[in-house]
Amino acid sequence: MSEAALLDQLIQALRCLPGVGPKTAQRMAFHLLERDREGGRRLSETLLAAIQRVGHCEQCRNFSETPLCTLCASPRRDRALLCVVESPADVSAIEQSADYRGLYFVLMGRMSPLDGIRPEDIGIDRLAERLDRGEVQEVILATGTTVEGEATAHYIAQIAHRRNLRATRIAHGVPLGGELGYVDGGTLSHAIAARREL
Amino acid sequence: MQTELHEACVLHRRSYRESSLLVELFSAKHGRVGAVAKGVTRRGNPLAALLQPFRPLLAAWSTRRSELVTLAQVEAAGEPFVFSGRTALCAFYLNELLLRALPRNDAHPELFARYRAALGRLAAEPAAAEPTLRIFEKHLLQTAGYGVILDSDADTARPVEPERLYRYVPGHGPTAVRDGGAAPEAGIAISGATLLALNREQLTAPLHRAEAKRLLRVLLRLHLGDKPLHSRAWFDEY
Repeated sequence: MSEAALLDQLIQALRCLPGVGPKTAQRMAFHLLERDREGGRRLSETLLAAIQRVGHCEQCRNFSETPLCTLCASPRRDRALLCVVESPADVSAIEQSADYRGLYFVLMGRMSPLDGIRPEDIGIDRLAERLDRGEVQEVILATGTTVEGEATAHYIAQIAHRRNLRATRIAHGVPLGGELGYVDGGTLSHAIAARREL
Repeated sequence: MQTELHEACVLHRRSYRESSLLVELFSAKHGRVGAVAKGVTRRGNPLAALLQPFRPLLAAWSTRRSELVTLAQVEAAGEPFVFSGRTALCAFYLNELLLRALPRNDAHPELFARYRAALGRLAAEPAAAEPTLRIFEKHLLQTAGYGVILDSDADTARPVEPERLYRYVPGHGPTAVRDGGAAPEAGIAISGATLLALNREQLTAPLHRAEAKRLLRVLLRLHLGDKPLHSRAWFDEY
C-alpha cells in the first residue's frame, strides 16, 4: 500500500461522522497530519478505548463504562421518580439545567410506525420490567413534542397506568423571556390549556 | 421556480444532514412531494413545530432539477389534528398508505380533500375509526385508478342486490354466486349488502365492516405489494 492509499483510507474513514462530506473529511485529515499529530493520536486512542469499553447501563440504557451508570448507582437520587427521555443528550440537558433528583430511562429513539420502530426496539420491555420491580412511583414522560414523541409518551403512560403508577407529561409552554406574538399556535394552545392557578 | 402557497400536509419527516429535515408532503396541487426543509431543527426555529404530521399547512417551495424540492415558506392553516393511542396509529396508517400508494409529483386534489376529511373524522369520532379507514382505502384505490366496482355485477351489469352473495374477483369486479350452480373458486366472498354499504359509505353493521376490511385488504395488497404495512402490523398487536 502506498502512502496516498493510507491517506485516502483516513479520509474515507472520517466520512462516517454525521455531516462530514468528502471535502470536510479531507480538511480534517490534512489538519490532523499537518498541524496536530498529537491531537490525532489522542483522538485515535480515546476513540478505540471508548468503542471497546463504553456500553449501555443495565438499568437506564444510557451510555456507561460500568454495568450500572453513575447516576443509577448514586445513593442520593430519588428512586421513586423515573424520567423517560429519547436520547442521552436529553439526560445531559436535564442534568445541566433542571432541578431533578430522580432517575432516568433512555429509550435511544422513539416509536415511529412509519419507520418500523416498534416498542421493543426502544426497550419498552426493559422499562416494563423496571416498573414491575415496584421502586418507581411516578413516570415522567419527557419524550419530544413531535407526533411520534407524543405517541411514545401515550404508550408508556398506558403501561404505567396498568401498574397503578402515576404518569406525568412534562409541560409545554411559552419560553422564558418569550413574547406571545412569536410563539407558534400549537405551543400557545398547549400553554393556555395547561394554565395554572396563581 | 417557486410555487405559490397552497394546502399541504406532512406525511413523514426524517432528519437530513446537520439541521435539516427531509419532509414527505402531500399537497393539494402537486400530490406527494419530497421536500428539503433547510436548517429547521436549529434552536428556536418555529418551523420544526409546524412541520409535523396531521397539521394543516400552507406551503411553498422552489423546484430544482432534482427530484426533491426546497421548502421556501410554511404557515399553519389550522389547528393540528390530535390523536392518542390506537387512533394515532390509525392516522399513521393513512400516511403510510399514501406514502406507499402514491408516486411523487402526481396530483390528486380530490384524494387530498378525502385525506383531510378522514383525519377530521378520526379526531372527532375515534370510536368510528374503522369505517373511516375503510372508506379512505376505497377512495385511495379509486383515485389511484385501480377501479373498485361495488354497485353492479361485473358479468351481467345488473345492479348488485343486497340479499345475494357475490365473489369479488380483483381486476374484474363482483359476480353473483348462482343458486345450485357450481360456486366459482376465484375471488373473495362478499355479501351484496356489504358491497352496497361500502358504496354508500355507511359501514355501520359489524358484518359489513368485517367483509369490507377483508376485500379492501386483498385489493390493497395487490396494488401496494406484499411488503407489510408497519402501522397495520403494529395496530393488530397494540
